[in-house]
Amino acid sequence: LENGNPIYQLQRDASGVNNLGTGELMSQRHSIAAIVGAAVALSIGSPLSAQTTDVEFFEARIRPVLVQRCYSCHNSKMAAPKGELILDTKDGLLKGGTHGPVLAPGNPGESRLLKVLSYTDPLVQMPPSGKLADAVIQDFTQWIAKGAVDPRASAPANASASPQYKGMSLEDGRKWWSLQPVAAHAAPKVAPAQGRPVNKVDTFILTKLAEKKLQLSPQADKRTLVTRAYVGLLGFKPTYEEVQSFLNDSSPSAYENLIDRLLKSPHYGERWGRHWMDVARYADDNPSSEATNPPYPFAWRYRDWIIESLNIDMPYDRFVKLQLAADLMPDAKREDMRALGYVGAAPIYHHDLRLSGDVIGTFLTDDWDERIDAVSRGVLGLSVACARCHDHKFDPVTTKDYYALMGVFASTVRVERPMFPVDPDAEQEYMWLQRKLFDLAYSINLLGNEGTTFTNGAEKAVKWKAEMEGLKARATTNLAKYPQLIQSLDKYWNPPRRAAAPPPAAAGARGVKPAAPAAVAQPPRPGAPSTDPYMNGVFEAAQYVDASDPTYTWITYKPGEVRNMPVLRAGNVAAPGEIVPRGFPAVLAKGADTAFKNGSGRLELAERLFTDTAALAARVMVNRVWGWHFGKGLVATASDFGTQGDKPTHPELLDDLAARFIEHGWSLKWLNKEIMMSAAYRQSSKPRAEGLQADEANVLLWRQNSRRLDAEAYRDTLTRSAGLLDLKMGGLPGDIDEDDYYRRAIYGRVSRARRAQMLGLFDFPEATQSAPGRDITTSTLQQIYLMNGTFIQNLAEAAAKSAAAATGEAEQIGMLYRRILARDPTAAEMKNALTYLQKGTLQRFAQILLSTHEEIFLP
Amino acid sequence: MKIKLSRREMLEALGGGMGLFGLAGAFSGWSGGEVHAAGLGNYTGPSLPAKAKHVIMIYLNGGPSQIDMFDPKPALFKYAGQRPSAVDLRTERVTAGLMPSPFEFKRYGRNGVEISELLPQLATVVDEMCIIRSMYTFNPTHTPARALLHTGSVLATRPSTGSWVTYGLGTENQNLPAFVALASPGGPMTRSGFLPSEYQGVNFPVNDPDPEKIIPNITNKKIDAAAQRVDMDALLALNQSYTKSFGADQFLEGRIKSMETAYRMQFEALELFDIRKEPQNIRDEYGPTPFGTGCLLARRLVEAGVRFVNVDYPGGQIWDDHRDVADNLRKRCPDMDQAAAALIRDLKRRGLLDETLVVWGGEFGRTPVSESGSGRDHNPYGYTMFVAGGGFKGGISYGATDEFGFKAEQNRVSIHDLHATLLHQLGMDHTKLTYRYAGRDFRLTDVFGEVVTDILA
Repeated sequence: LENGNPIYQLQRDASGVNNLGTGELMSQRHSIAAIVGAAVALSIGSPLSAQTTDVEFFEARIRPVLVQRCYSCHNSKMAAPKGELILDTKDGLLKGGTHGPVLAPGNPGESRLLKVLSYTDPLVQMPPSGKLADAVIQDFTQWIAKGAVDPRASAPANASASPQYKGMSLEDGRKWWSLQPVAAHAAPKVAPAQGRPVNKVDTFILTKLAEKKLQLSPQADKRTLVTRAYVGLLGFKPTYEEVQSFLNDSSPSAYENLIDRLLKSPHYGERWGRHWMDVARYADDNPSSEATNPPYPFAWRYRDWIIESLNIDMPYDRFVKLQLAADLMPDAKREDMRALGYVGAAPIYHHDLRLSGDVIGTFLTDDWDERIDAVSRGVLGLSVACARCHDHKFDPVTTKDYYALMGVFASTVRVERPMFPVDPDAEQEYMWLQRKLFDLAYSINLLGNEGTTFTNGAEKAVKWKAEMEGLKARATTNLAKYPQLIQSLDKYWNPPRRAAAPPPAAAGARGVKPAAPAAVAQPPRPGAPSTDPYMNGVFEAAQYVDASDPTYTWITYKPGEVRNMPVLRAGNVAAPGEIVPRGFPAVLAKGADTAFKNGSGRLELAERLFTDTAALAARVMVNRVWGWHFGKGLVATASDFGTQGDKPTHPELLDDLAARFIEHGWSLKWLNKEIMMSAAYRQSSKPRAEGLQADEANVLLWRQNSRRLDAEAYRDTLTRSAGLLDLKMGGLPGDIDEDDYYRRAIYGRVSRARRAQMLGLFDFPEATQSAPGRDITTSTLQQIYLMNGTFIQNLAEAAAKSAAAATGEAEQIGMLYRRILARDPTAAEMKNALTYLQKGTLQRFAQILLSTHEEIFLP
Repeated sequence: MKIKLSRREMLEALGGGMGLFGLAGAFSGWSGGEVHAAGLGNYTGPSLPAKAKHVIMIYLNGGPSQIDMFDPKPALFKYAGQRPSAVDLRTERVTAGLMPSPFEFKRYGRNGVEISELLPQLATVVDEMCIIRSMYTFNPTHTPARALLHTGSVLATRPSTGSWVTYGLGTENQNLPAFVALASPGGPMTRSGFLPSEYQGVNFPVNDPDPEKIIPNITNKKIDAAAQRVDMDALLALNQSYTKSFGADQFLEGRIKSMETAYRMQFEALELFDIRKEPQNIRDEYGPTPFGTGCLLARRLVEAGVRFVNVDYPGGQIWDDHRDVADNLRKRCPDMDQAAAALIRDLKRRGLLDETLVVWGGEFGRTPVSESGSGRDHNPYGYTMFVAGGGFKGGISYGATDEFGFKAEQNRVSIHDLHATLLHQLGMDHTKLTYRYAGRDFRLTDVFGEVVTDILA
């Protein structure tokens, strides 16, 4: 039962805290040797007589330390000694590890062992759990100076290399279908008997259908077409008038004109922005939102940037590049830096700085791992994250590739950047100060917390407060030109005091407004959405864990510097191996040069996504867009184009669209139109016997896929049906669970800790990770929400109120049908409705119409 | 590829033994085969003979002090105030010397298991309890440790145990959610993560026993049941006519059923969630507190076929006794003790204990050394949890911490081992309960965990 959790193992030993999960070798699959044995009392500093021989010195002063502090990770019996360094044999010690020799007998200054032991090497500090006592280090210095006499056996035990998972070879990997270049295909010839293609898309679909002797379904009726187009491009159903205007337009270009018009609507950006926000795991806060990972007050600016960018049809490659590296792109405007919310408002963990350096180091690598996962699955449809612990079992991604990417994010620090222009030096200074002050203010606050105690707390308080004061002076000098920036830092020196919080609303009672507004104006909660002129972004700085104080761990930020990460054996920060320069995964790279050369490499990463892996990036996005129009992609696993994912159902079509997407300057509006103009898109979604028989799952697309509206489209459509939808765009997020929240759903606050009730009910994804698509479920709770919820009752009341203005029940019913279902009732429906009204009310009837299949369904 | 069998049919076909899988209806959702077939990956349904069908997980948020409740250590008296050098007692905060528990331990039950005077009621049901004194976990901070307890990982993305169990076994009552959380702050306790959202825990507050306060929107405030029926019929007619004009469609047909179920559910749930319907003596047995309400409600839900119930001791992270641990436990233990014991007793009386796993614990325990004079710091190195029912041995304590109660030493049980053992009792091999996501088969126990067969009857 001695299993340990490798990544999260705590490894403090004699000088630190305790081990968790002892067990020398854990599960073989993710084996990591924990430091065995908790407390070992070292006898240090006892005087040795002058006659002590070198051998005795070794036995008395050196060997015990090696045994107790080093062997557990560096011994010849291990399958994979850390850093390939073996310290329990003489030869091993002389040979060194992955970084080469560690010992230069007679020359302490040249011995890396000493550097590592004295914690002066920024990357490798041993033992990982805490620095040895100075006296012990002194012993080592003396021992090395005197020739590093080592009486131990020379012959190393049979230390075999670690059995590593070897994925596919690089060569085989490069042949993988999704990594092949894309090229436009010639349209397959379609015989008239196979059906009539409207555009090139159809030729591929028809060819495949013909193999099964199937044809496309007939074009859907015009009402369905206009509804699809509105939901597809704007995210809500059309009104009666909007439907009528399309029905009455009998020109041959009516449909195309409709698409063109909707593509120009500002609400297009809202619909498509929300799609992208699933992929970008957009949220306004963090999974736990504790002291060091408070909510993001300016995430909404990133959301607004997404909407604006899609509305101007920013090329998709630039759209992604700005999100990764706007701060490094010379042609990016300051307002484009809002895009950095992609990295700067990413989910992060709470870093309780009282935890050991290894634990904090692990949290940081968790944060960076999340970035790698978001980019690799979101943009490239590849899951790279497996390579954190071992070479990818299936895809040709190695741990080296992985840590080469991690260096990019280890050299990128989240920060609030000003929206107004600031000269680069001052801005850099501001951003560094902000991070440093944040950590100091957090730490000082901890000291004052009841129930919290520190080793040397009083001493620390004095020191930290002095440091804060020193930074104040520094800020005053270096930011003199920008009083506004100095002002924004004031919250760290003078934390706003909040009055005792009102008792939190009972769980489940969301949407209930507090009875009375607080009498006294409160300073905003940390992280509350704010209109101050800042944005959640990132800047270039290397991050390290400073564990030199074994009782308190700091994170250091080195602006303008970069950090290359070591390969972490089994993902364990305490087992660093070879250091890998930042770079692009070899299997994806065009050419042998994978290294990133400028700064963190974020911009090079962003650029190579659209040069080296342009074909893959285009395929992935084309497939997503296809999926948003058809309910599922040509590749069913939208975020996995690797060997574990599905293969495309129509590879030539995917290739052709991807190639033409690139040719059309990565224009999403072009792509949307190309897909929507096709007969495949426009066909009816009704079941057909021959189709069901030959291809029940509709893989070949013999019909369009009908769907339930997603959470946002449903809420927006309901609100619009009641005439209450407020189309004001942009700005601070609101609480969508408030009954009188009538803005579009995209402007509701997205919480990683707690999904909005209504959205969650209708399968809104969790925003902790990039979501490849939406589940569509039908649940009893959804129906109860529709039957009894006050939100829906309020909508019904509003709709009924406006219908009540008409004279006569028949006219009122007609108005409700037009308002909610965007059509006139049939004679039979009118008759039934009139009968209903003998028992029910107009408002209840409005609620019935809002709850219908017809309202929630997209045929 | 669409698989023609619904997931339920598939599980029924493959599962064997458990009979009542019902994923396709009602609360548990109606998602068609596709989404699930994709994620199902290699999972083929429960494969072991199941001892238990339900889980009630009692969660004491903050880290309850095992030293004062379940793990007596006479050595603490001998070394009171000292820090013996034989054991490194360091944790994240500054702590002082060993602090013996002021609470008296006595032996109870057929095997004479020691329990502290804080828990006189649980002491009476000790013969049903398997007290694991050698638990350990992997993080000393609340949030990650809580995630480990509930999801088997510190990551903020993984599905909760309840989600895994309902994914693996489905529901027994299509009119109720399969996975319910009572008084839970959500997050890792109810998260479905990459599992389909229908497996998310449905959270209900219990600070008021009025079911209308517990289930939002359960009652229509505007019209009575008869009028609602009229509306439901009108809606049904419209939906049926729409379905007819569209053609056979799983979603449209499913939604009609779901509405009908919802209509009935309102009344059923109103009844079910109303603990005031219980005889007074039963209510008294559980006690008139929110936690008593939670435990009693948990029993009613399990009885009605709910698969997994999380019951939090309400009030947030309040078992986090960095100071005044003794005084706080004196205040907090009585109602916890009463309700938890009542739950075990009541399940036993109704013959439900054999098929219900009652799990009790926090995200970690507390140190034997004092903090701030009167408190105890977090201790993930060795702590106590107990399991009652579900085929676990009763009346035993298992494993041991060191002399001072700091670190688990004998028969160590990691949080992964506990998860593996719980799944085992539910008929699932923890290495085979997988979900394919991002190119990998994920597990509750990741690559860890061993079934602790010693504690199984």
